[in-house]
Amino acid sequence: MARKPSQKKKLDVKILLSALIISAILFLSGIFIGYSINEQNLGSIENNIQSVTRTLENFQLQFLFFDVLGENATCPLLTETLSEINKESYDIGSKLTITGSESEIKDYNEYITLKKEYSRLLVSYWLLSNKFNNVCEQNVDTVIYFFSKDCVTCDDQGFVLTYLKGKFDEKLLIFALDADLDEPSLLVLKNYFNVTEFPTMIINNDKYEGFHSKDEIINILTKGES
Amino acid sequence: MFWITVMNYVAWFIFVFISVVWILTLLQNRDNMQNSKPRLRKLPFVSILIPAYNEGKNIENTIKSMFSLNYPKRLLEVIIINDGSTDNTRSVATRLKKKYNFKLLNNPKNRGKAYSLNRGLKVAKGEYIACMDADSIVEADIIKKMLPYFKDPQVASVTPSLKVWKKENFLEKMQHAEYILNIFLRKMLSFIDSIHVTPGVFSIYRKNVLREIGGFDENNLTEDMEIALKIHDAGYKIENEMDAISYTLCPQKWKDLFKQRIRWYRGALGNYRKYRHMIFNKEYGNLGLFFLPANILAVASIIVIFMSLTMNYVGTFITSLWRGHLIDWDLTLMLNSFDFNNFITALFSTPLMLGIVGLFVGGYVLYISFNLAEGGIKEHKPTYIVYLLLFPLVMMLFWILAFVYEVVGMKKKW
Repeated sequence: MARKPSQKKKLDVKILLSALIISAILFLSGIFIGYSINEQNLGSIENNIQSVTRTLENFQLQFLFFDVLGENATCPLLTETLSEINKESYDIGSKLTITGSESEIKDYNEYITLKKEYSRLLVSYWLLSNKFNNVCEQNVDTVIYFFSKDCVTCDDQGFVLTYLKGKFDEKLLIFALDADLDEPSLLVLKNYFNVTEFPTMIINNDKYEGFHSKDEIINILTKGES
Repeated sequence: MFWITVMNYVAWFIFVFISVVWILTLLQNRDNMQNSKPRLRKLPFVSILIPAYNEGKNIENTIKSMFSLNYPKRLLEVIIINDGSTDNTRSVATRLKKKYNFKLLNNPKNRGKAYSLNRGLKVAKGEYIACMDADSIVEADIIKKMLPYFKDPQVASVTPSLKVWKKENFLEKMQHAEYILNIFLRKMLSFIDSIHVTPGVFSIYRKNVLREIGGFDENNLTEDMEIALKIHDAGYKIENEMDAISYTLCPQKWKDLFKQRIRWYRGALGNYRKYRHMIFNKEYGNLGLFFLPANILAVASIIVIFMSLTMNYVGTFITSLWRGHLIDWDLTLMLNSFDFNNFITALFSTPLMLGIVGLFVGGYVLYISFNLAEGGIKEHKPTYIVYLLLFPLVMMLFWILAFVYEVVGMKKKW
């Protein structure tokens, strides 16, 4: 069957090469635009983190009022600031997740840096809300959730926690920490609670290892209250 | 996930590359688009072969169209091959035979289109053979517009423009847009000597060449593609005349379109395999080094992308749904967590930017097609937009199913 053509066929090298170059240019410009938009996204997350950090500093400052103004004047103020931080930090978390999953050609280092910055923020947020609970005798439940990339049930656990967050809103604070990050403040927490497997949750300072269903967590939370 | 991303980019690149080739080919050949064709000094004898299988409803129009051709009747011969039809094709043809002067051959049983064409080819007297589907019509001057190309002895076949005859429902309008695009593409393919299909609707062949290469392949799902590749393989050329216009009925129902496309695409896959020695072979010029490989790569990347996306996204989707049991299917809370702002952020990522660039390039090619073949886009705007966005996805799905059928080795049905 494979007979050679009796006459050599036409080959338009010029057209093919120019087309190759033009499509390469189009390709690169598409990548470039997408990349710059990504950069902008990361930049805006960075801004958000800074804004929450400022609010946290403000929160710390408000604690100082406590000694002077007393509980009655300070606690409502603190409650308000805390709920503001709560919403903002939650937004940053979901933005980070989405940027991380959607953008294929992301600036990896910058992304990791942002994630570290975010987890630092979460750690100090957790510390301050503990202090708030003590000082103002409030019943805001806190859950530190350590997850890792190679963990099978982490997605399920995250899903359940998102659900509980939606359900209890400001009454429940969740601090989802990526245990794979090499971040000193995170390591301190990890060592303090002796976290070795994932998922691990620290619910109001008690450690729970492995997957916990929504009913189990609700039980733990209500038990603490009674 | 990394390789899916790479495949996505490869597919995108091939698509844009092919589109840019068409645009450049058009720019280079702008002057050849409208040039006046040489008039034929001496008109040759032409035989028209019309294979018909269960075309009782349509064949009368086709026969009428053949006998209103603007071509001397003494130089024209119409041969109808009734391929064992089980409907009234035979009685309709016999009735019309009293009025029109054509030959009627009857296959005792259904043998397929290629067999019927070969049978007609054996008795045809013409120097040129026009093949004609029994559900189609042509414009009267079609032969005179097409024949001049045969002045070049290397030309073995000339193809016309093919349009959708009746475009009433949505599906027909979509196919109309597709056919318009193909009219442009076929002309561009002719400039780079790479026409890979000579449609069954009034493609004209040089009889000597048809006989030299052994006629049509009787065991092929798409004999019109097979014959075109065989012509290239034998070193001949295929030309196209955009102003020679034919009209064909296209499937009105999704089910029929599905059947037709599965046959076409399976046929294409089979023929790529049969003519694989042409692929990446520089002896075959643009066809061997550009068009066939690009086509196959495009199909391959569609299949890989589709399958990996299915596994990834559908997999994720199903597990997310399955997760519902963890929260007792409390869907309102699940939906509450959907953040519109973040959704928008996610949209503006690199793949989307590339998508826009790709859509722009593809849309421009389609726009040119409408300008050239339909004299503009004005009355076709909705069709144009819907086709651009929707139909390629449907075609993609058909390609994948055809591939699966071909791999699983389902029984081939014409």
